[in-house]
Amino acid sequence: MNLTRFLIACSSILLGLGLIGPTLTIFPKAGDLTWFIKIIAPEELAVSTYSILGVIQKLFQTNDLFLAILLALFSVFSPVLKLSFYWHATGLKNPKKFKSMLEVIHYIGKFSMAEVFALALIIVVIKSFPGGSTAQLEWGAYLFTSSVICSMFVSFRLDSSKRS
Amino acid sequence: MTDISDFDAPKPPAWFGAVIPLLLVLLASGFYWFISTDKDNGESENTSNSKIKLRGQLSPGQTYYIFASEIEVYPTNLKNESWDQGKKGPDIRYRLLWKGNAVFESITKDDSLIADWSGLSIELNWKDLLGKSVSSDDAIKAGRIRFEEGEKIEIAVEDVDVASDDDVGRHEIDMDNLSIGKNEFKLTKTDTSAIRRITLRVLPVGSNIQDLANIMK
Repeated sequence: MNLTRFLIACSSILLGLGLIGPTLTIFPKAGDLTWFIKIIAPEELAVSTYSILGVIQKLFQTNDLFLAILLALFSVFSPVLKLSFYWHATGLKNPKKFKSMLEVIHYIGKFSMAEVFALALIIVVIKSFPGGSTAQLEWGAYLFTSSVICSMFVSFRLDSSKRS
Repeated sequence: MTDISDFDAPKPPAWFGAVIPLLLVLLASGFYWFISTDKDNGESENTSNSKIKLRGQLSPGQTYYIFASEIEVYPTNLKNESWDQGKKGPDIRYRLLWKGNAVFESITKDDSLIADWSGLSIELNWKDLLGKSVSSDDAIKAGRIRFEEGEKIEIAVEDVDVASDDDVGRHEIDMDNLSIGKNEFKLTKTDTSAIRRITLRVLPVGSNIQDLANIMK
């Protein structure tokens, strides 16, 4: 269980850094008018980098409450809740309680990659903007994905301990 | 005397351990936030331009870029003769005067009865546009004028010649009559002016790109 808890701790730290670290860099372009906009208002074409929490904050500021809540649920609350349940499960001695806890975790785990899907969706949307705007993943996204992968290992270990 | 051992000490509830991942997440986030020097980079919304008026009459105290995007002159000069020898059109240049001072002078447009200016610098190298950040003050070729009620500006148009520059005419504009965007003045020929039409563009200094692009249309 010590290794499992170590993995949960690693996943938690990676998640914390992944949420606040730079995740997405947007390179705005304005097509044929790019040169013109660079003259008049170069700040409008400034490269912007966002963290996941930054994106959520921005969505709240722009009153995109549905997207903000969706992203907050999938990328912040769901992973934290899952890791908390994992940690709790590692301390359970009662096999019946342990099994039911794993079922709850598996239910929450269905949302575990939703945030990666959301990121992919953002990139696809930005790349489809007119004017050739592009988006690029930053290290925060990789830490975030590593956290998800780490938690998957935790899940495998808990599943194997359930069988034994 | 009662001896309280570890066995007797109150145990934390079973779910207490579940808080540890949350604490680790908060600690990691807090740590990065602490060491990050430019945490607000790219995420702070620039709201400084939100109060600038983008249409209608000019606002007192606000500074504007003003330039002539087009000036048309009559086919003959003030003496009713052809502008240049060889029946060439005039080489038109204008100056913008405010409070008796020339605050902007355009480049010369050769052999034109209708001269046009984009309002943008043509001295930029395309490489500068791609690589360098060019300030709008350097790039926009226009006079910067602060509007106050009752203020007047004057456009002085000249035919640039090698020997001496000839007056084409002058036109005084009451700034109260100006509006943001395109302003057109149709003039009749007089003894002192052969200007037929002036199209002035007024752009508020500090407005954002979408608004400027719309005004420039």
